Amino acid sequence: MILNTVLYLLLNTIFVVAISPLAMTLIKKVKAYTQGRVGPPLLQGYYNLFKLFKKEIVYSPNSSFIMRLAPYLNIGFLLAASVMVPVVFLPQVSGIGNIILFLYLMVTAKFFMALAGLDAGSTFGGMGSSREMSLSAIIEPVTITSVAALAFVLKSTDIPEMFATTLNGSLAQYPTLILVAFSLFIVIIVETARVPVDNPETHLELTMIHEAMILEQTGPKLALMELSQGVKQTILMALLINIVWPVGLASNAGIVPIAVSMASFAAKVLTFSIVVGVFESMMAKIRLFRLPSFFMLALFFSFATIVFELLA
Amino acid sequence: MIEGLFLGGGAAMVLAALTSVTGSRERGSGRRFALGLVMAGALAWIAASIVILADDSDLTFRIYSLTPQLGIAFHLDRLAAFFILIVSSVAACVAIYSLKYIEHTGSQARRDMSVAAMSVFILSMVLVVASANFFGFIFFWELMSLSSLFLVMFDREKAETVKAGIYYLVMTQFSTLFLLLGALLLHRYTGSFDIASAGGLTLSTAGIIFIAFFIGFGTKAGIIPFHKWLPFAHAAAPSNISALMSGVMIKVAIYGLIRVLLDVLSPDLWWGTLLLVFGTVSAVLGVIYALKEHDLKKLLAFHSIENIGIIVIGLGLWVIFSHYSLNTLADLSLFGALFHTLNHAIFKSLLFMTAGSVVAATHTRNIEEMGGLVKTMPVTAAIFLIGSAAISALPPLNGFASEVMLFQAYLGAFQVPSPLTAVLLFTALAGFALMSALAAACFVKAFGAVFLALPRSREAEHAREAPRAMLVGPGILAAACIILGVFSYQILRAIGLDLPLPNVLPVSLIAAAVFWLAVLALRRSEAKARVSETWGCGIHTQTSKMEYTASGFSEPIITIFSPIFRTRKTGKREFFDKDKAIVSGGSGEVHTLQFFEERIYLPTALFVKRIASFISRLHNVDLDANVMYVFAVVVVILLAVGQLL
Repeated sequence: MILNTVLYLLLNTIFVVAISPLAMTLIKKVKAYTQGRVGPPLLQGYYNLFKLFKKEIVYSPNSSFIMRLAPYLNIGFLLAASVMVPVVFLPQVSGIGNIILFLYLMVTAKFFMALAGLDAGSTFGGMGSSREMSLSAIIEPVTITSVAALAFVLKSTDIPEMFATTLNGSLAQYPTLILVAFSLFIVIIVETARVPVDNPETHLELTMIHEAMILEQTGPKLALMELSQGVKQTILMALLINIVWPVGLASNAGIVPIAVSMASFAAKVLTFSIVVGVFESMMAKIRLFRLPSFFMLALFFSFATIVFELLA
Repeated sequence: MIEGLFLGGGAAMVLAALTSVTGSRERGSGRRFALGLVMAGALAWIAASIVILADDSDLTFRIYSLTPQLGIAFHLDRLAAFFILIVSSVAACVAIYSLKYIEHTGSQARRDMSVAAMSVFILSMVLVVASANFFGFIFFWELMSLSSLFLVMFDREKAETVKAGIYYLVMTQFSTLFLLLGALLLHRYTGSFDIASAGGLTLSTAGIIFIAFFIGFGTKAGIIPFHKWLPFAHAAAPSNISALMSGVMIKVAIYGLIRVLLDVLSPDLWWGTLLLVFGTVSAVLGVIYALKEHDLKKLLAFHSIENIGIIVIGLGLWVIFSHYSLNTLADLSLFGALFHTLNHAIFKSLLFMTAGSVVAATHTRNIEEMGGLVKTMPVTAAIFLIGSAAISALPPLNGFASEVMLFQAYLGAFQVPSPLTAVLLFTALAGFALMSALAAACFVKAFGAVFLALPRSREAEHAREAPRAMLVGPGILAAACIILGVFSYQILRAIGLDLPLPNVLPVSLIAAAVFWLAVLALRRSEAKARVSETWGCGIHTQTSKMEYTASGFSEPIITIFSPIFRTRKTGKREFFDKDKAIVSGGSGEVHTLQFFEERIYLPTALFVKRIASFISRLHNVDLDANVMYVFAVVVVILLAVGQLL
């Protein structure tokens, strides 16, 4: 039992960390293709991290311990959150993945990242932190409402339990999940800093939000920040994928099921990255103050789910 | 033994009040001795309340009787003991903090008086909670209000303080008025002033009594729209007093509300809806007003309104779920509200105390003039950071532990059979989430503007770390924030609450392990780290003028919520030439409409003033007219008494 849990923790965490740079690069690749470019090689994400880990660290003289601590805290809280989203197999322990705790661990990581953005006293960092926290504040009701809709439909607040329910049932049994999926998709777009909310490609003061916050980070610290962003993206994707399309997720800890599970998850991430990449290429960046109406769309979908379920 | 500890604690407080005014004035030894007595008394109370909580023993004793009906009697049960525990633990930490803080302020005589008033204030809060009947309750309630008014008026030379004092006096008397009304109405139907069950009341009567108590307690607790006194009074008072007022005094009102709901009246569904709506409005508006605020202590005061909102939401949920007999959810909400009461007391008094240290070091409350204090006041900064993370409900700290209980209760709302109530609950949930995320944004702003980047004023540059006593007091509370958060699941299990809650301990362990591994992995490159000017868009050196300000930080949120702030921006420019090409100067102003002040408070005040001037005109007459008034009043009283008897 204990061994099973420890095995799960190790496998899940390592797999999430290992696949994250790939997912990041995949989206870049898809975007490049839609724009008629070739794009980076598939392993570019790993090369970048490797390169950054070898570089030296430079701190601004204005910065304090917050700057030094934030990358560690960021990766710590995000990996703790990643434990709650089963990717390799469903653990047999109950109560491991409360969804509210999951969301708030990500908020904690964001809190320290925003503080680090303010720490060096540069205007860019402050601007990034300000925008990130504002957007995060407005998206939060949407996130929680979609989570409430999920909990309503699947009758659980525990993420592995939710996955078990969808794994044993089918989407036809829970048609309202499709509506929730739309709002979760928008939440993922916001949380992972993608067009039309944020532009991860540029370092342009007009468009960047997330990049501005980590502008002052260097070397291995920057690598940790990039990696945690990748982990965040993977676990959010996994949340949506395993609720809508849980095929292949292993329900016990055998070698073969785990291998199948990993392969199928990689395939699903590939598909999802294509969807995100195409979606990003179709959209233009929305003005910051127009974003709340974009979020309202997601709120509408999750609220509609709740109302449908109440009337059903 | 419990009685002895309880009365001993009270005696220590009285003694503290006496010694602080009689002790040696020159070196302040009397004052220090008095604060020591406050600590001792608080410890006695903590011991007493722990014994009661552990044994679940009820204890009633009477110490004074004016008439058989009107007497001062105490009743200590678990609920009272829990609140006494909150009051006395915070009071002990504030007393440690005050040892040094008090030396920063006022003249010697005024410091002595302030310590004396503080002891009376703490004593009165505990006695309010312990009171067994409304006679004692309202008597000590008034003592609490007046002693705190005295403390708010500490800097009475300042116009701002006078304004705060007047607001506070009016609102606190307003609150007592409604409590008195509630108590008298109860007496009319039950025939006694005892705080005991009055379950037999008819629906409409109980409703009216509840409204009276809700307004009375809500005013003291700072529920919007009765909140206006709170930011003024908290900002004007010395910081140790703000810590007590915000951390503890408003909790005494929450105690009253819980006691009345739980023990005295039997709640109806619409009470729950009322509490939920007022709670949500207070929580969301409180944090939105806080975002705009640049006075550090006012910002914290608005967060008190927010947190009181959270507690009231918990009570509202409890009433609603109890009505539908959803017992697990009802328990989650009630214990969530109670746990948040404790947690808010801890992190809010911590924040007010560290804010006090910052204000004492920089001589300003405006966060726009601070900055960079993390380098000069590192320990204060670390403690403030823990408090900020706790109040922003970040796991694994205690603020999260209590908010997640309410979230869990909300997520169970689909079990409510009435669709209308369920929709209301899900809507309120969205508001709750908004509040929680805005709080995090607000504390990034507060911590960032106060402690990070470069100092924005000379005072901030030359700030010095607070003395040890001013670190120990809030430091104890910071440790409590961590312990109550990480072990929340275990603690709740230990006191026998088996609720469906996430266990934060394994998650914290995993986060800590990852953190430790990352530190190990990067230790070598961290050692080689270089400190050098980072890229600043070609600017040679960075100055504090280039930093993001607190106003800049909150500007996007304020723009998004502009319908709530109702800001009016005006800009004026003057030109050198007639073609309006070269600007010679200009000004810009942002006005905000103070909704509650301009639409509710001022009209009410004007109305009262008009009545008062009418009455004062009536007064201005000769003797025989006055005799006629007296005659009319006597007739009215006789008629009223005849009707009642």
